[in-house]
Amino acid sequence: MRAVVKNGIGIFTPQGFLDGNSANSLLTLEDVEATTKINAEMVLVSLKKVVFFNRNGLDAFVKLFTKVRNKQHITVGFCDYDYKKFTAINKFYKNDLNFSLFKSQEIAALFSASYKNKNKNVLLFSQDKSQSAAMAIELHDNGHNPVIAQTQEEFKEKSKNRESYDVIIEDTYLGQMGQSVATRVTGNAIIYTVSSFLDAEIGNTFNISYHNNSLNVGFRLFIFDAYKVVSMNVHALNFFSKLASSGAEYNATICFVGMTFEKIPVSFKETLEDSGIMFFEQMDDILQNKELLKDLGGGSASSVANKRVINKEIVTELPNFIEATVNTIEMMTNSQAIKNAAKVDQITISGKLEDKIASSIGFYGDIDGMVILVFPFDIAKKASELLIGEATEDTELVLDTLAELVNIVGGKIKSLLFEAEISVNITLPRTYDNVNSLLDVVGDKKGVQVDLSFDNDKFLFFLTR
Amino acid sequence: MITNEKINSFIEKIPPASKVLQVTLALLDSGELVKAAQIAKEDLALSSYLKSLVNKPIYGFKNQVDDVSQIFGILGVAKSQQAVYNYMMSLLSPKKWSLFALNQSSFHDLQDTLAINWQKILAHLQITDKEIQSAITLLPASIIVAEALFHEKKEDVALLRSASEIDLNTILLRLCQRDLFDICEMIAKKWEMHAHIGAIVQAASGSKPAEDANIDTLGKWMHLLLFFTLSQPKFIQAQLNDFIDFHIEYVDAIYEDFAQLMEIQ
Repeated sequence: MRAVVKNGIGIFTPQGFLDGNSANSLLTLEDVEATTKINAEMVLVSLKKVVFFNRNGLDAFVKLFTKVRNKQHITVGFCDYDYKKFTAINKFYKNDLNFSLFKSQEIAALFSASYKNKNKNVLLFSQDKSQSAAMAIELHDNGHNPVIAQTQEEFKEKSKNRESYDVIIEDTYLGQMGQSVATRVTGNAIIYTVSSFLDAEIGNTFNISYHNNSLNVGFRLFIFDAYKVVSMNVHALNFFSKLASSGAEYNATICFVGMTFEKIPVSFKETLEDSGIMFFEQMDDILQNKELLKDLGGGSASSVANKRVINKEIVTELPNFIEATVNTIEMMTNSQAIKNAAKVDQITISGKLEDKIASSIGFYGDIDGMVILVFPFDIAKKASELLIGEATEDTELVLDTLAELVNIVGGKIKSLLFEAEISVNITLPRTYDNVNSLLDVVGDKKGVQVDLSFDNDKFLFFLTR
Repeated sequence: MITNEKINSFIEKIPPASKVLQVTLALLDSGELVKAAQIAKEDLALSSYLKSLVNKPIYGFKNQVDDVSQIFGILGVAKSQQAVYNYMMSLLSPKKWSLFALNQSSFHDLQDTLAINWQKILAHLQITDKEIQSAITLLPASIIVAEALFHEKKEDVALLRSASEIDLNTILLRLCQRDLFDICEMIAKKWEMHAHIGAIVQAASGSKPAEDANIDTLGKWMHLLLFFTLSQPKFIQAQLNDFIDFHIEYVDAIYEDFAQLMEIQ
């Protein structure tokens, strides 16, 4: 079974009846590992389409969860259940509940560091006070505003005021949370979230190959969200120093945000600063300061000293990139996509820039680079209809769907290149709600531009490094 | 990816029921078991199918049964008609499956499991109508149609489904404004199956409740039976568990009855 991965959460959705036999057939360790490889920091089994389950059925998943969590340091558990199912699970695992339970995927997303929507007003209640506190801390750390109801009555009363809260949490349980270093992309910066005690384990939980490949595809600013870090030992210190040194040849900047030095020797800070690492109190000190962002390399790729150019290896594989894009658009629109013109130059976007949106995905491995698709908004809506199911004017929804679309393109590229014996992995997709921010990133880069159309609607493909 | 032209071409390629099958079904319909058996014997593939069917352990006969007249006699009118329809459906199934990990034998197992449990349900509901008994035979057509339309797009489907929780039925509906069960109904019409059969199977999709309360109830039982069956490991391994959406809320009213009948603990 394959998972759908969104907001850093891989969700498996089995259907029907779950017992010991069926559960073992539904999900294998390979299925879960394939999901974690695409940067899922949580793996959940949705119970919304399960009409019956027994202890044996859940046990099969729980055994898998334990293996995966021990190996990959991610959060595991179940989601999408009603009160009856929640009660049954609690009864089955009364004294042994070491996985998480999220009443809905929306609630699970609040606990994912990769969830891009922050600042949600959240009402929460749990009979277990330590759970209420744990949830509130996690929510706060993830940038939300939790309000704890102390009693059932208070919760009922406050719940009536539905419009005051973006999300209401009940029937939820935080088991052992994942300790892997969560990753999210903001603008041209990559944000890693680290927490608690940083020791030698950081070498296992930090995805170094993802980091190296992000450097390869042009990311230059890496921010460690360290609000939740309590302390650090010399092994972690060495790790970060080496990371900074290895990034120096790319002109990359590494920053720590929110780290306090109450329990960390000040000499550690000096060592890290000597390695080129910078420290900030608040995330907004960087993200809201355009000048600083630009200086640090997170505002525009134009600040990158080592400009990389499109090379022969990539151009040779151009037909595969075009085929992946054309096939995906044809699949999503049921129309024939036509290649109109191609050129090797800087990207040229004709017509009104403000009417256009874009998405991109990086690939790395035997070859590396970035595919960018630029659509007029109306065409993006059309291309997103298969996934959304209806026409929409919601820009955010269209952008999210466009990210899924470019993710599918990336997946197709990966499989077409694999057939050509070229092994690549793909990064998280990025979207641009206006093409000016895209031009900031790739405006001065040379690449292959192909003008495409379907049903006479034009869109643009750009391949660069 | 899938176009209406492709659907039309698929429907056009479905052969009409042969003369032998038409006459056999008509005779069974009028209760003429012996005459029906005489005609059925003319179709050697049908005879062979019926023999292998009734001698499976799932049917529980102690002695080998080889004669078609004997088979029809043992099965009775409704089950005989059901068996002939299942045979017709198996003619439609591909020689080689690729979207689903099925083969002729496992597809027959699916048909048989559904048929046996559908009999159990109808006995529980005290329904003896032979058309309703035969309705279950059309349900696996949805799997055949999905295989026929999507097998060349296996990778596209996998990529699409890794990005979004979307089932094959919804993909088809959004692309062509017709779903797998609409196509099943078209097959039923082409084979001149009773109108009730198409209507029950449409309701069994779980996404189109029937206006007729009786048909809707049967649709609920059939929808739940389908997912009860597709939760068996062999069908999960065949990738059948999520080819269409299970509408859990649709079967809510009958779940307790179903669980009791199927002895689910």
